[in-house]
Amino acid sequence: MNTDTAAARVENATKIYGSGATTVTALDDLTLAFERGRFTAIMGPSGSGKSTLLHCIAGLDDLTAGATFIGDVRLGELKDKELTLLRREKVGFIFQSFNLIPTLDAAENITLPVDIAGRDADGAWFDQVVSTVGLGDRLRHRPAELSGGQQQRVAAARALVSRPEIIFADEPSGNLDSKSGAELLGFMRQAVDQFGQTIVMVTHDPNAAAYADRVVFLADGRYSGELADPSAIEILEHLKSMGE
Amino acid sequence: MIKLAVRGVLAHKVRLAMTTVAIVLGVAFVAGTYVFTDSVKQSFDTLFTDVSSGVDFYVRGVSEFGSQPPRIPDTLASRVAAVPGVAVAAPSVEGIAQLIDKNGDPIGGSGPPTLGFSWSEADEGISLTRLRDGAWPVGPDMIAIDAVSADANDLHVGDSIEVIVPVGVERFTISGIATFGDAGNLMGATLAIFDLPTAQRVFQSEGEVSSISVVLSSGVSPTAVQALVSGMLPDTAEILSAQDQTNEWIAQVDEGVGFINTILLVLAGVAVFVGAFLIQNTFRIIVAQRTRELALLRAVGATARQVTAIVVIEAIVVGLVASAIGVAAGILIAMALKAAFSAFGFGIPTSSLIVASRTIVVGFIVGVGVTLVAALVPARKAAMVPPVAALRDVENPPRSLGRRIASGAAVTGAGLVMLAVGLLANLGNAVALVGFGALVTFVGVSLLAPLVAREFARFAGAPIARWRGVTGRLAQENAMRRPRRTASTASALMIGVALVTVIAVFSASTKSGVSAALRRTFANDFQVSISGFGDPTASGLPPALTEQLRQLPELETVVRDRFGIFRFAGSDADSFLLGVDGDYSQVANINTVAGEVQQLGPGTALIANADAERLGVGVGDVVTVQVPSGSSLYLRLVGIYDEPAIGVPLLIDLHTYEYYQTLRLDRFIYIDVKPGVDLAAARAAITAVTDRYPNAKVTDTNELIADYEKQISTVLNLVVVLLGFAVIIALLGIVNTLALSISERRHEIGLLRAVGMNRRQVRQMIRWEAVLIAVFGGVLGLVVGLVLGSAVVVAIGQGLQLSFPVGQLVVYLVAAGVGGVLAAVIPARRGARLDILDAIAYE
Repeated sequence: MNTDTAAARVENATKIYGSGATTVTALDDLTLAFERGRFTAIMGPSGSGKSTLLHCIAGLDDLTAGATFIGDVRLGELKDKELTLLRREKVGFIFQSFNLIPTLDAAENITLPVDIAGRDADGAWFDQVVSTVGLGDRLRHRPAELSGGQQQRVAAARALVSRPEIIFADEPSGNLDSKSGAELLGFMRQAVDQFGQTIVMVTHDPNAAAYADRVVFLADGRYSGELADPSAIEILEHLKSMGE
Repeated sequence: MIKLAVRGVLAHKVRLAMTTVAIVLGVAFVAGTYVFTDSVKQSFDTLFTDVSSGVDFYVRGVSEFGSQPPRIPDTLASRVAAVPGVAVAAPSVEGIAQLIDKNGDPIGGSGPPTLGFSWSEADEGISLTRLRDGAWPVGPDMIAIDAVSADANDLHVGDSIEVIVPVGVERFTISGIATFGDAGNLMGATLAIFDLPTAQRVFQSEGEVSSISVVLSSGVSPTAVQALVSGMLPDTAEILSAQDQTNEWIAQVDEGVGFINTILLVLAGVAVFVGAFLIQNTFRIIVAQRTRELALLRAVGATARQVTAIVVIEAIVVGLVASAIGVAAGILIAMALKAAFSAFGFGIPTSSLIVASRTIVVGFIVGVGVTLVAALVPARKAAMVPPVAALRDVENPPRSLGRRIASGAAVTGAGLVMLAVGLLANLGNAVALVGFGALVTFVGVSLLAPLVAREFARFAGAPIARWRGVTGRLAQENAMRRPRRTASTASALMIGVALVTVIAVFSASTKSGVSAALRRTFANDFQVSISGFGDPTASGLPPALTEQLRQLPELETVVRDRFGIFRFAGSDADSFLLGVDGDYSQVANINTVAGEVQQLGPGTALIANADAERLGVGVGDVVTVQVPSGSSLYLRLVGIYDEPAIGVPLLIDLHTYEYYQTLRLDRFIYIDVKPGVDLAAARAAITAVTDRYPNAKVTDTNELIADYEKQISTVLNLVVVLLGFAVIIALLGIVNTLALSISERRHEIGLLRAVGMNRRQVRQMIRWEAVLIAVFGGVLGLVVGLVLGSAVVVAIGQGLQLSFPVGQLVVYLVAAGVGGVLAAVIPARRGARLDILDAIAYE
């Protein structure tokens, strides 16, 4: 695997929570890379370390040992200020819930990272993103006036609008009904295909993971295989085989 | 239920701690005030009782009111001493004597009196004063002074000292240093002690004494001897039992202490009132944050009443803890007050601190009561949480503000009516009514404040949003999102700002009123008066000064006046008069409604217009007044004036004055220079005379006005400083609200950090929110303060000219904003330090 082209990677990543008798090893000497322009899903049973991996690679948490890179930048060496700047410039987020600032309307939420950076939003790009997620007429509404699906689409638009190198999504469709979830995932797929966006998504839902180009499986904080362009059925089979 | 409530308090320790601070401070002030004033009273009671126990009774001049009884012939002393059964009859003279320090400046005299006493051997053992160093004064050149004056000015036995007495400025040698009981002086009063003949001479009372202390031989019947003495006294003298004299002294101390008591209690009241807003807000937020917990209780079967009870019990627990800490802190405050008084030269005899059970009871009633009242509304709100809220987020639909408009308007209206009645109607306790009206108005405005909070934040936040971008925009939105919370936090600050604004308006209006009146009325060239603050009934310039000025060839007119006390016949209220020596009309433009100022002479008077109307008298009528000796004077009116610059209701002539009043010192000397004489030369000539009188000060009209303005500022600035305390409590409220809001918005801040907001921007966002809340409170305070202040000024009317100190008010507003920045320091730091993972990990 050519790591030079990876949008993000971890090398020998170990993360241990707690101390003494209660230690939990969430990541155990894991090495993994995410290629540019691809949609990767990370799957695994509860406690497999998938959320921890996402948090560490996104610069929200730090490793006990090993290294994480976004592009060529090694996160462990960065101070909070530089890390903040990196998140602002190069990383987009879609969380399971609580993605939006309730006091700002949809448009303001979408441009939030750009506004925080004190830059002007790229108008044409903004329009394109907004029309792709299909929010045109809801832009002046506040989150409380939007449905769950609409809220997650606003979050996705926000993640895209600053053209980050990589977007991390943590169970983005976890709180949505299947129709809204499908719309959101379809949109994420579109972002990868049309705009060449890199997306890394953590999920436990095989149907969601089926939208990805590559599905990586984790167990007990270790790599336990992957599938390329799998269908939901194939993923389910793999998960079952892991369980045995 | 109680267990749940106590657990609730423990779970919210930190949040409640901030609230507790407000109550602790309020209770501490109440308790501290009581402990301090009780201790002071107790120590003086002990001292006076000790002294009086040696004396059986006193003989003195008949005095109906006023502080200085008229004098009695000194021959009475030897006659009383000759009465069978009398062991000692010690005569004593009292007067006013201003000590001068080595640099030629007056010692003390700014507030507390500068007392002069006589001492004779007969006083041994029955005098209030004790000798610390040296000997009692004997002979015409000797003086004993109080220990505080001596120690503060490096004066010792054998040193020479100048003293201003009614006969002029004289030089004495210090024979001894005296104390008052074991205190260095009598609550800041300076003491000058002479032997009896010297005292009689310097106090212009040859052949007279102020009182005679009588000690009986052992074994005689006091009533029998009293009857004998009483029989030989003239009408102008009376017997005063030792007990009555003690009570009189104690009453005087109580009056002084009572003043301090009132000021401190008003401050404590303001603190508690502001604190109540904080408590209410804290409980409201805590209830909101515990919606799920309360709903769960409802779901498992707790009644609405039980949920209310939990919150109420929590309030009681908080109130009890805060009151206990407050009472303890109050004892510390009392100790600090005592130390401060000694440090500023106010001698107080030592005694242990008195913590009366009343102090503790009142402290707890105030602390628990206020907490309880403030928590009632949030407690009722807690009961309205539906059980289903345990299962899912129930967005409380914002209740219609209609009822709030109605109740807010009603309460505000009631407050304003009370104010108006208190200010305009002639009621006995108008001050209490005005104060209460102001409180009610504050509550009313705080009820109405949420209505404008949103619009205010939108309006005032717009420039911040434009300038600061998204952080400013978020600050603006955060200040707008909970108008009730913002309003109630701001209301606490409003009270402090409103009060200082009232003071500022009152101060500016007084200054412009005084300056306009003085400028118009006293168009004379120069004035001479005493420097600094002095009680006009117990301080002044020696008459010799006027006599010397009248010798100066440069001066055309020299008119002086003296301050006196009297009562209109049938009235129990003390009024004041001026005794005028010379033609007032030559040195002042006194606006007369009828008659003429020049007509003033022995047995006549001029009266102020308002009093003439009230009494229904006119020129030519006779007005009956009482003087302190109890005599009635019948004064024929020769004129009626309408002149705010005069400031007293009655002008009499100096001959009349000297006959009925005891003060032998001049208050003011007005001077007009001869035509053609250079003003600077005239001033030099005047100053050459006044330089011999260290407490005399020469001014022209502009300087006089500046002096008055400075005095007004000094007094009122002190009040503003004291009110700063209320502002600090209100800022604590902002800290508290912000801290609670931030913990409520943990997820939101985590999200902002995740998408790239750095810590500085988080701090900035919180800081601007604090500024918006603070400035909102400041603006509300300014508006309410301007209305209240204008109302007070208009209601008082006489001598005031409504005027708004715009610059000062702008400073207050800016200060409020800066206060917001300071209040935000800790919450902003906490907000910026929030762990992103904790904040976004929701479930």
